[in-house]
Amino acid sequence: MATVTFDQATRSYPKTDRPAVDALDLQIDDGEFLVLVGPSGCGKSTSLRMLAGLEEVDSGAIRIGGRDVTDSPPKDRDIAMVFQSYALYPHMTVEQNMGFALRLAGVAKSEIARRVAEAAAILDLQDYLDRRPRALSGGQRQRVAMGRAIVRSPQVFLMDEPLSNLDAKLRVQTRTQIAALQRRLGTTTVYVTHDQVEAMTMGDRVAVLKDGLLMQCDTPAALYERPANVFVAGFIGSPAMNVLTGEVVDGGVRLGTAVLPVPRDRLARASGGTGRVTVGFRPECLELVPPGEGVPVVVGVVEQLGSDAYLYGTVGDERSGAPLQTSDVVVRTEPRHAPEPGQTVWLRVREDALHVFDPVSQVRVD
Amino acid sequence: MTTTLPGTGTTEVRPVDVPRGRARRGRGGRSGKAGPVTYTLLTLAALVSVFPLYWTVVAGSHTNAELAETPPPFLPSAGLFDNFAAALEQAPIGKAILNSVLVSGAITVGTVLFCTLAGFAFAKLQFRGRGVLLALVIGTMMVPTQLSVIPLFMMIAELQWVNQLQAVILPTLVSAFGVFFMRQYLISALPNELLEAGRMDGASTFRIFWSIVVPVARPAMAVLAMLTFLTAWNEFFWPLIALTTANPTVQVALAGLGSGYVPQQAVIMAGTLLGTLPVLIVFTILGKQIVGGIMQGAVKG
Repeated sequence: MATVTFDQATRSYPKTDRPAVDALDLQIDDGEFLVLVGPSGCGKSTSLRMLAGLEEVDSGAIRIGGRDVTDSPPKDRDIAMVFQSYALYPHMTVEQNMGFALRLAGVAKSEIARRVAEAAAILDLQDYLDRRPRALSGGQRQRVAMGRAIVRSPQVFLMDEPLSNLDAKLRVQTRTQIAALQRRLGTTTVYVTHDQVEAMTMGDRVAVLKDGLLMQCDTPAALYERPANVFVAGFIGSPAMNVLTGEVVDGGVRLGTAVLPVPRDRLARASGGTGRVTVGFRPECLELVPPGEGVPVVVGVVEQLGSDAYLYGTVGDERSGAPLQTSDVVVRTEPRHAPEPGQTVWLRVREDALHVFDPVSQVRVD
Repeated sequence: MTTTLPGTGTTEVRPVDVPRGRARRGRGGRSGKAGPVTYTLLTLAALVSVFPLYWTVVAGSHTNAELAETPPPFLPSAGLFDNFAAALEQAPIGKAILNSVLVSGAITVGTVLFCTLAGFAFAKLQFRGRGVLLALVIGTMMVPTQLSVIPLFMMIAELQWVNQLQAVILPTLVSAFGVFFMRQYLISALPNELLEAGRMDGASTFRIFWSIVVPVARPAMAVLAMLTFLTAWNEFFWPLIALTTANPTVQVALAGLGSGYVPQQAVIMAGTLLGTLPVLIVFTILGKQIVGGIMQGAVKG
């Protein structure tokens, strides 16, 4: 068990103008499950590999349990890693795969056997100990990879997209298993994924990265409720938050022919003299109101999911002819009385659910 | 990993009214069942390949006079053993075989070990000058053996190794081809994550080589071993220069066989047969390993 600290950790690859990870500051508590999430190329895997010791740190420091490990080789960091491809040794049995690290560390044979058996029991692998990875299914290989990390009882688990090679159903199942296992073992875990659903469901806290920069690090609920900037607002949540930029008018922002009311003080701070402001609202925070009130939206597509229906439309109404703004708006509605495509609906944003951003700096304004 | 090879499942969906023979000819190679045409061709190819060996046995069991008859003899006879005896008397074939086993064995072990080490380094380790060094190694393949014979012999003479086996072993203990071959194999067969997993598990670079790289490289090592052993066994030019007929390898000993006013072809053939048998045995043992290795790689790929 240990804390993990990234202190201005930076990694630049030669011949690139932008660092892959740029002055990352992150404090991970003892026993915490932290998820690094972001689009591909955002530096999440690089950050994890820096922590693992597989990637150099060009400046800044990384500490595990208060100990500076910035220049230590991986074996001196007391960490275990689960790879995306699992990276199981193809010529070793499940038992040998799981016991390899302990064997290298000179642990007694009986102790290795005991710990492997214990991990195999947790992961339901007892019947496969004599098999080679080739003879295992994808899910079993994934569990062996987990087992290889568990037997070492390391200070920190590192997981690099461990679920991306599983099919959708197994992924959901394994997701909950990993989260439960982590709670049970209480080992500090850093988990990398590009899937925001995985991030939201598994992490105690989620760190969102973009272009090597940390955008926000907070609990899943806080990320959802109070995204720090436009990027996080759009990245977290599915379907994504509606983000629209419009002209500031008295008491609100003009969207098409209608005006969306925005509190005056936030409006003033967000526009910053530019005369424009960016607003965001989630699909489920919209209410259908009688025609004439609220913002009109022309429905383009209706997605029926059974439990919900999602309307994809454009701001505007039939009076103005063509939609005034090309930005799509997504609305969650009650599925049984969903409007038809082509129809115009009038929407009101629930007051507490409106997010306001500075259109230039993209930062949240409260 | 779970993709089906194209064509493997096609036999099940074949309409029942299609005659079997036609379907076979159409995609005989893919459906996994060989037709009579395939068998005939393979049998012919096998016969053509085996004929020189058979002729060695036939020629080795007759006399020069019998071989000159028309038509020549087509069956072996008991005369083979007389010719064996003659060959063994004319040249130290027993010693030559022992020498060849030592020389080829040492060269094979050395080549496989060093080429795997170097191939691994060139394929997976990051170090300054890697590209230049690899180009240099490959460049040595373009230097003909004949060019290096004289300086090599001078060095051997200086070391007083003339007529000693190490003179033949040492210059071929590692080959540029082998390094390149192992490098190419490891680049594709050895995922970087496997090495990183090894590092995370606390293995040193040497340990990673021994416990992870070598097992993965085994199929390629078997192929390289076979090729190297055959080349070393059949090597004639350099051993003829470095060794004498008193302490020869097989090929050097054979060169001294049946060398009268009229070459005794039967004795030469009998000696050749004696010199070929050990290689045949090695191939029979290693062959299964090689085929197994290639299959394993194919399934994994």
